[in-house]
Amino acid sequence: MSFIDSIMAGLALVANVESFLALAIGVTVGVIAGAIPGMSATMAVALTLPFTFSLAPITGILLLLGVYKGGIFAGSIPAILIKTPGTPASSATVLDGYPMAEKGQAGKALGMALYASCTADLISNMALIMFAGILASFALNFGPPEFFTLILFSLTIIAGVSGDSLLKGIFSAVLGLLFATVGLDLVYGTNRFNFNDPNLMGGLNFIAVLIGLFAIPEILNMVWNPASADGKTRSLGAKWVTFAEYKRCFRSIIRGSLIGVFLGSIPGIGAAPSAFLSYSEARRKSKNRENFGKGEIEGVAASEAGNNGVAGATLIPLLALGVPGDVITAIIIGAFMIHGLQPGPMMFIMNVDIIYGMFLGLIISSVLLLFVGSISIRAFRYVADIPRGVLFPAVMVLCVYGVYAVNNNIFDVGVMFAMGWLGYIMLRANIPAAPFLIAFILGPLLEDNFRQSMLMSGSSPWILARGPITWFFWTVTLITVVAIVRAGVKGHRDARRQRRAAAETRAG
Amino acid sequence: MRHLVKGATIAAAVSVTASMAVAEYPERPITMVIPYGPGGATDISARTISEPLTTAVDNPLVMVNRTGAGGATGSVSVQNANPDGYTMLFARVGSHTVNPAMKATLPYTLDDFRFVGVYEINPVACAVHPDSGYDSMEELVAEVNANPGTVSYSSSGVGSLLHLAGAMMLREFGVENPVESAIHIPLKGGGAAATAVLNGTATFICTNSSALASFVTNEQLKPLVVTTAEPVVGFDAPTSADLDMPQLQRLVGWTGIAGPDGLPDDIAATWGEWLAEATSDEEFVSKMEARGSVIRLMDPVESQEFIETQYEVFRELVDDLGMRIEG
Repeated sequence: MSFIDSIMAGLALVANVESFLALAIGVTVGVIAGAIPGMSATMAVALTLPFTFSLAPITGILLLLGVYKGGIFAGSIPAILIKTPGTPASSATVLDGYPMAEKGQAGKALGMALYASCTADLISNMALIMFAGILASFALNFGPPEFFTLILFSLTIIAGVSGDSLLKGIFSAVLGLLFATVGLDLVYGTNRFNFNDPNLMGGLNFIAVLIGLFAIPEILNMVWNPASADGKTRSLGAKWVTFAEYKRCFRSIIRGSLIGVFLGSIPGIGAAPSAFLSYSEARRKSKNRENFGKGEIEGVAASEAGNNGVAGATLIPLLALGVPGDVITAIIIGAFMIHGLQPGPMMFIMNVDIIYGMFLGLIISSVLLLFVGSISIRAFRYVADIPRGVLFPAVMVLCVYGVYAVNNNIFDVGVMFAMGWLGYIMLRANIPAAPFLIAFILGPLLEDNFRQSMLMSGSSPWILARGPITWFFWTVTLITVVAIVRAGVKGHRDARRQRRAAAETRAG
Repeated sequence: MRHLVKGATIAAAVSVTASMAVAEYPERPITMVIPYGPGGATDISARTISEPLTTAVDNPLVMVNRTGAGGATGSVSVQNANPDGYTMLFARVGSHTVNPAMKATLPYTLDDFRFVGVYEINPVACAVHPDSGYDSMEELVAEVNANPGTVSYSSSGVGSLLHLAGAMMLREFGVENPVESAIHIPLKGGGAAATAVLNGTATFICTNSSALASFVTNEQLKPLVVTTAEPVVGFDAPTSADLDMPQLQRLVGWTGIAGPDGLPDDIAATWGEWLAEATSDEEFVSKMEARGSVIRLMDPVESQEFIETQYEVFRELVDDLGMRIEG
């Protein structure tokens, strides 16, 4: 079958009311679920799955994909408005999105998040359609040693999100690494730091940690210091993002999308690291570097491009290899199998109509996301105008409910509050929370892949430099670390010179 | 006379209420805990059977995923629940035979649960990469014996079915001490374990045939053996009957339903009837068989025996090989 025939076959499947309806409903459900803190995109997809059992295969799959796309974008709405990432993937959006909302630019931040998301989504879908084969065979070159070096490089992000003090950032990261060790040891299966409590056997719930670290400290801060919030409402975020701003951020959006496509096509990393990597790269390259973390629109654009860039690309290992890249695609594979479809190379021969139907559906979903997203932003941005005395208790209720719903476990709510106090102490001590979160996500990956490599090689460290991919990541890690150290030394010198100059002026 | 009538009425009323109290289980929705994440084998199996089961129960079933620690988190929550039949568990081979056999510190044992039925059996298959050059288990085992420490197998984690299955298959085919001579590479989840064989991180994998079906169809993996006596559709590999090794048939996956230990007999019996009704639903059977499962319903007594026998076999193997996790 030629390319045109394939597209026509796909079109025959998709060009009907049900498919469009499924996509539109999916995106809407995803946006609503993603905007509720604790209700992650993963949960929304899992809850939608049973509804697809009775639908035609393509309709069911498009419904799930719609939920996935909508959810990943909408996670940015609460991240910007109430400093609570709706899904783990939008944690990086908090860094600049929330300060923008504080400045009364919530509408602008949300608009940029939407445009960056849709652009990245489109690029990611295009990459899936055009380069699925190449990217999938590249991804298969990633064994534990390659993974280890990639994660090691990703840990350098910490420097980019540490704020003023690298030392405090590293402290925060070490704390995150420590908390990530709770649970079962991967290789020996023994308990670590669980204090004989079965609830800790599975480790600390990621969403509980995430919400505890970001949302709860804000609430505690207000309880501690209610006067600061009295009568203070943030002005209506009426300003919309301009084309000039989009153009200025375009480079970061493209870069973020490509990072997302690259990380998304490798099974097992997920959207959150991609968003952080995109954010820290944008900061490193930007002229407005100083403004990052204080409400820089480019930061919002970069992190949203980073996480949505993953959304289409995670389907690459799924379709080309039959391998789920993350939890969401694992659920989508379940949906394929229920309909008797077996993802993998053969599907491109046996079910070419469904494959191309999906491709077309994905492109339509990017457009639908733009519409549904604009409407939802118009509805949600008024959240910024709710007085804090009303908003924060409501956020608190949502957080408790959301964290409970992840695993239906009250223990997780306890974890959330414990992490909330830790986050509050960190907030007061000016220790940034983002490095903690990155270390918490990447730490276990780093450890697992290191130990798997050691098992493979019989404990010879040379396996960690076994091929060009590992050499590449070792090199860029080295360059980045040198750059960070040099910048640190230079900053230190400048500060000393300034102090000396100030002292001399005073003496003179 | 009047008193007599009154007394009789009361007695009748009491006996009616009493019998109604029994007949009325369930009078409210039943929470069904799935101890694994959405999209996994247990989750899909549980959600598929929940449809015909809801018709049989005539009361809503609330499906709850409680994930973590290889099924332990969800299992513990049912272990500690009231044995009133309103909190039940989808038990799985990993959480209820492999894990208890391997982990000394597991917070529950088989005795903490009462099984009301096993409804699904999954054949186990072992597979290698097509380019690996191995065409049979014998060739693979010969390599393990000739060059100890070069052959590896992947699993979805310590204490998973895959972990035990790899060791058990090597031993059955003549490797003296598979723990020492083959390398076990644990990964996070079944998908990652299969990927490890695809990209050459591990040499072979032994897992439920349904988890391998798409890779076998796509010729990305080559099956070497199937543990059931009957062949598995799409798997061009010898069965335990072909090899004359009936002992392999004990290595199968299964899904069943369990309640806490003190579950009353009548509730267990009721569940037996519900499962019989649910598993006779044709749509359910065809859906499950399309995914490579074998629908085989065991009544509460048979389930208990089946699970205990499998546990004993695994326990013996674990003790022989020194695979028990103490810490």
